[in-house]
Amino acid sequence: MGKKLIITNNIRKLRFFANEMTQLELAEKAGASRQTIVALEAGKYTPSLEMAFRIADVFGVSIGEVFECKKEGE
Amino acid sequence: MSYSSKRKIASIIVGVIVAIIYIIYALGGHSPALEDLKSWAIAILIFIGIGVGAVIVIQVIFHLVFAIGIAVKEREHDDKKVNRIIKSSMIEDEREKAISLKSAHVGYICAGIGFVIALVTLAFGMTSVAALHILFGTFAAGSLLEGIVSVYYYEKGV
Repeated sequence: MGKKLIITNNIRKLRFFANEMTQLELAEKAGASRQTIVALEAGKYTPSLEMAFRIADVFGVSIGEVFECKKEGE
Repeated sequence: MSYSSKRKIASIIVGVIVAIIYIIYALGGHSPALEDLKSWAIAILIFIGIGVGAVIVIQVIFHLVFAIGIAVKEREHDDKKVNRIIKSSMIEDEREKAISLKSAHVGYICAGIGFVIALVTLAFGMTSVAALHILFGTFAAGSLLEGIVSVYYYEKGV
């Protein structure tokens, strides 16, 4: 089995550059609950591909600019 | 702690209270005879009804208290924003569904083990009332465990 993947995100940074968008606004635009956005930013939840695309779409960037993936130990 | 966690904890507390009341009833002097399967089945059905009713009532009360709490906490904002916060807290999105599935899995395992234990007790000649109580107990324990696992996933991540 391959190494475990660690998925991080830049949502907090992107919110800041999107005119300090609130978690509530992002949640509403992405169709998620505010708790899910809180969990995402805290690294406690990895979203589905669909949710990841929706979040990227809210910021108008590619999915790779929102989420980054590293192998454990790298 | 999130709205979902608090809601689950409220349900767990209600479940524990109903379970304790049942244990007091079962061990008390007013309980049916040990061989009277029909009376025990009726008693368990009544307690299931009480449990479901209590959980519904506590959820409604909890929802009201939560909405009032948000309205007080966010009183500097207008009603529209308060409504948005309440609505956003109650959305059942993919994370909520993932947590439900994972915790339900744990609950099913517990109930399944209880079913097997109940069959084993019957196979070893114990009374059907004992098997019924093992089934009821493990289903109740599974339900409580499901709630605890949900809270764990809400707080620690999924």
